[in-house]
Amino acid sequence: MAKDVKPTRKNLMAIEDRIELSERGHDTLEQKRDGLIMEFMDILDQAQDVRSDLSDDYETAQRKIDMARAMEGDVAVRGAAAALKEHPEITTQSKNIMGVVVPQIESSKVKKSLDERGYGLLGSSARIDEAADAYEELLETIILAAEVETAMKKMLEEIETTKRRVNALEFTLLPQLYENQEYIEQKLEEQEREEIFRLKKIKAKKEEEEEEAEAAAEAEAVSAD
Amino acid sequence: MSQEIAVIGSPEFTTGFRLAGVRTFENVPDDRKDEELDDAVERTLEDEGVGIIVMHEEDLSHLSRGVRERVEGSIEPVLVTLGASGAGGGGLRDQIKRAIGIDLMEEDD
Repeated sequence: MAKDVKPTRKNLMAIEDRIELSERGHDTLEQKRDGLIMEFMDILDQAQDVRSDLSDDYETAQRKIDMARAMEGDVAVRGAAAALKEHPEITTQSKNIMGVVVPQIESSKVKKSLDERGYGLLGSSARIDEAADAYEELLETIILAAEVETAMKKMLEEIETTKRRVNALEFTLLPQLYENQEYIEQKLEEQEREEIFRLKKIKAKKEEEEEEAEAAAEAEAVSAD
Repeated sequence: MSQEIAVIGSPEFTTGFRLAGVRTFENVPDDRKDEELDDAVERTLEDEGVGIIVMHEEDLSHLSRGVRERVEGSIEPVLVTLGASGAGGGGLRDQIKRAIGIDLMEEDD
């Protein structure tokens, strides 16, 4: 609080420097926050598109697999599922958006041709193939959604911390610094006034003493006459 | 580093993904979800080879609070939920409300 600082000129200068620095930091952070929110809006649009694709793809995939189950039986579908040899893999690279590292996910072996699936051509039916196709497509959308949603989560975290910093500067640090500055300025002014008053007092006392000395000298001179 | 996709859910939910080649999966039957889903999710979260977790939106309600918060906030691996009604799953909507101050996903309803 304001009473904790010593009212010296040196402290005043230090506080003025800190105010300047904090204000500059506040402006920069504010710009960063606004920039991040703009970037976030772009990603949000993208995310909403991906989300709707995702639910469409999921519905299609579910319908296809239900059909396969109904026609071929649950056991056949599970058997085919257990026979898969190729597995989709993802590799993550990173991209930098205004200091936020967001992932870029690349996938391989999601889409497979019939002979790559490994459950054989004779043992299964077209319906299982269709279901597998639909799920492969769904996986691709899921990978895209994962990329976009991770980016969103990371950016939201960054926006939150930046916002907190801006608010801390604006509502806590800067008001406190201003308060300290004012306190020191007032204290210094008061000290100055005290000093002037003291000087005046001393002057007055000196003049009084001189007058007294003069009066005494005069009186002595009179008595000597 | 190459990672895999993991699916957690009822056997009906995971079969389709296995058909597409996903080999990391946790089967939890519907009637045992309250007891076993937490452990399944925790096991998958700790697996470093997993980059994406796929779950059904409804299954999230079977999770205990702590695990749910962990999986929703997790970035590596990231959770993608299916079957949600369009609005961003995984607690994203709440996070947006908190960070930006406005509910940006309202138009989805």
